[in-house]
Amino acid sequence: MSWQRYTKELMVLGALLLMLGAFYYKMSALNSQSDTGSQSKASIAQIQEVLALKEIWVDKKLAKKLEKLKKILPVSKVKWHKKGKKIDAYFKGLTARELNTIITKIFNLPISITKLNIDKKALVYNVEFKCKW
Amino acid sequence: MGNKKELILIHHDMKGITLTHSVNIMLTPEFYTLKKEAIPVKYAYQAKRIAPSLFEGLLDENSRYDYLVWKESKTSNEWTFIAYDTAKIAEFLASKGLAFSQVAKVFFAQQSLGLFESAMAVGEDKVLLAIDAVIVLLPRMLLSQDERPSLQFSKRFTPQKGVSLQSTQTSFVSLSQSIILTMLFMLFAGIFAFEGYTLAHSGGELQEELEALYEEHSSLSSSYTRKGILNKYQSLDKKERQKRDNIKQLSSMIFKGVTLNSLELNDKKWKATFSCQDSKVAKRVKDLSQKYGLNHRNITGINDVIIEGSL
Repeated sequence: MSWQRYTKELMVLGALLLMLGAFYYKMSALNSQSDTGSQSKASIAQIQEVLALKEIWVDKKLAKKLEKLKKILPVSKVKWHKKGKKIDAYFKGLTARELNTIITKIFNLPISITKLNIDKKALVYNVEFKCKW
Repeated sequence: MGNKKELILIHHDMKGITLTHSVNIMLTPEFYTLKKEAIPVKYAYQAKRIAPSLFEGLLDENSRYDYLVWKESKTSNEWTFIAYDTAKIAEFLASKGLAFSQVAKVFFAQQSLGLFESAMAVGEDKVLLAIDAVIVLLPRMLLSQDERPSLQFSKRFTPQKGVSLQSTQTSFVSLSQSIILTMLFMLFAGIFAFEGYTLAHSGGELQEELEALYEEHSSLSSSYTRKGILNKYQSLDKKERQKRDNIKQLSSMIFKGVTLNSLELNDKKWKATFSCQDSKVAKRVKDLSQKYGLNHRNITGINDVIIEGSL
């Protein structure tokens, strides 16, 4: 018995092994791509989330916008103290309309409100406001 | 292809041989039965199909025969049929020391008819010669005195088409089956390899997008940094959104008959006090508070409602 007698079978077997090898290569490539792909996808999603959050909460013009807030009301009604990235403000004798305006403006700014006290005295409101960014 | 291998003439009187390589063999008429017939068929496979009926009564019924068929000339309808018993041939070859696997192709002396211009000595007392376009094996003594067997057997007698004994014996698959299977497997191998290659080199789209983002925002290339920034902004976003949502809900509770008396809000909790003109309005405020899932309580004796929550 010699292998030469089975040339045809060996030829078929060789082709079969080649096919199985190619199939294994394809599956490995598929798995590898799937792993790399999901890692890349996760990293991209993470970066995009960071960028989106930064876009909301990091505003380079925030200091100017806060300064404008101070100027909405008459100077006599505002006590304003700014230190670094923190503001300590006191608004006194506000009408309901002024209170509504100032609160709407405050809550539309990308700031962290650390304290907000509103107190009604007779017909006017006094507001104590602290924030940082 | 066949001409590259050594060609050995096989006859009954031959001596035993020892080989280490594969050879082609040519069989003398002792090993086959020949018939010539004019048949109106176009292709060899059609002629081969009717070959068994042509040899009816001429062959040993207990043996199994294979057939080789070819047309003498393109213009005539005359076909040459050769019937041979593969098992007997194999048995004879084995008796002479020729392993079955060492035989690449088998040819028949009749196939080289055109080359038999004179007689060829076979063994010590036989000759091969062409008589009436048929190769026959005759005793040498039948030749006349001046008719010497001058033809020398060599590789040049190798015909173009031969029979592969290996394909008829001990094979699990026929040649055509093996070719089809091989081609099929090769085709799939090619497809899989191509797909694999494409997959291995196509994962780049996401990677390229990621690289572009890294390039644009180099500070975010470290996942550790990203996680840190994300944690910071996610908690800020969550807390500040909740503050704003709660204030929005409280704002919706201020309607005719309701006045905000006070609001206290810090990083941990908030508390609002509403003054309502009557119990009906106070109930509406409480209903709204319930709808938003906020805690509320009354101040005993008056229609003030306190709503509070934590952050």
